[in-house]
Amino acid sequence: MLSWLTDQARLIFDIVVYLLPAVPVTLLITVAAFSLALVLGLVVGVMRISRVGFLSKFAAAYINILRGVPLLVQIFFIYFGLGKILSLDRFTAGVLAVGICYSAYLAEIFRSGIDAISYSQHEAAMALGMTRFQALRHVIIPQSWRIVIPPIANEFIASLKDSSLVSIIGLQEITRAGREYYSQFFVDFQTWLIVGLIYLIMTLTLARLVKYLERYFAVRGFGSART
Amino acid sequence: MIIRIKDLVCRFGDNYALNGISLDVEKGEKVVIIGPSGSGKSTLLRCLNALEDFQSGEIVIDKIKIDRNHEHLHEVRLEVGMVFQQFNLFPHLDVINNVILAQRVVRKRSREEARAKAMELLTTVGLKDKAAAFPAQLSGGQQQRAAIARALAMDPMIMLFDEVTSALDPEMVGEVLEVMRHLTDKGMTMMMATHEIGFAREIADRIVFIEEGKIVEQGTPDKILNNPEQKRTGEFLRKVL
Repeated sequence: MLSWLTDQARLIFDIVVYLLPAVPVTLLITVAAFSLALVLGLVVGVMRISRVGFLSKFAAAYINILRGVPLLVQIFFIYFGLGKILSLDRFTAGVLAVGICYSAYLAEIFRSGIDAISYSQHEAAMALGMTRFQALRHVIIPQSWRIVIPPIANEFIASLKDSSLVSIIGLQEITRAGREYYSQFFVDFQTWLIVGLIYLIMTLTLARLVKYLERYFAVRGFGSART
Repeated sequence: MIIRIKDLVCRFGDNYALNGISLDVEKGEKVVIIGPSGSGKSTLLRCLNALEDFQSGEIVIDKIKIDRNHEHLHEVRLEVGMVFQQFNLFPHLDVINNVILAQRVVRKRSREEARAKAMELLTTVGLKDKAAAFPAQLSGGQQQRAAIARALAMDPMIMLFDEVTSALDPEMVGEVLEVMRHLTDKGMTMMMATHEIGFAREIADRIVFIEEGKIVEQGTPDKILNNPEQKRTGEFLRKVL
């Protein structure tokens, strides 16, 4: 019994050591993809509410298409399809695929965050001589952050999990490392258990962090009274 | 003449909010607009600041025509400051930055210049010690005074006040009116929609009574409030006084 336990402990230690170098890769893919998604998402979200017809329609189409096609298919399309033409490496292709896909979800979050701010704020800004864009940038969007932070954080956690999909194009992140360990040593139960636990630790840590962020954005200036 | 309004028509669907308003305002004049709820007082003021579209007629402010294709909106809004019934302060900024923001973004003033101007105006409206407070921490009266300072910071030639005391608790009305009284002493051109008849009597050069989007009667406070010519004016005043 004791020898079985020590064997198991040694095996698990072995797996963890094998997988650990892949953790920064997963984090890097997630952070890079999500940064791209934030920038693109904000641009598309603002385009979505634009009064210029074709901008709004383009944004709507962008959002609908990207949300309607599985991420895995988008990864294949960008790496094998576009990647051939543009000669993208695995990392760039993976980051692009996840980033672009998530930008569609973030665009909708930004749009709803902007919509949630009372139109009278817009009017107050314009009455002071601001253009529509200046009003958005200095008055509306800063107020929207408080509203969009929690759903954006949820998307960030989701994108961390979805980054496992890029293992399919050979990026050496956690899931890929798990598959390689399995194919070398044929240990399936323990390998996938550990892979799952590593993801779980990361997502739970992030969720805790989000709570702090929410509290940080909740205070200054926002009591119960809103004008 | 600083404001010229000619045959102004503004409608929402089939509802005529303004139905042929013509009104000229001289520089430095204080014009008070009175009338029942829904008579078009607010819409008139909002048209002057191009916050509301109008269907026909003409508005010229200090030689700038408010164009329906919105070419000169920006210039017009620089000339015209507006204070709203609901204050509409920016809740994410403290009081002083509420007053600074548009000075920086629109007037392109330096940080120091904008801050100095903001402090000066906050002192004028009696909010010097509230400069670092957020709007949610202020009373309604304080918020409205901050909103007046914010509008004044842009150095407008004309100030529009849209029922600025209507959302306030009675005990706070006085402090806001006091700030407005101070402005009248400085020779600012002012147009205000209000239900404060007493205040109107005190500061107005002219009172305009509007009903159903039309000017029923206008004249000096004495004429309108004491000897109205139109039956409707008298009936309205009996209700509000």
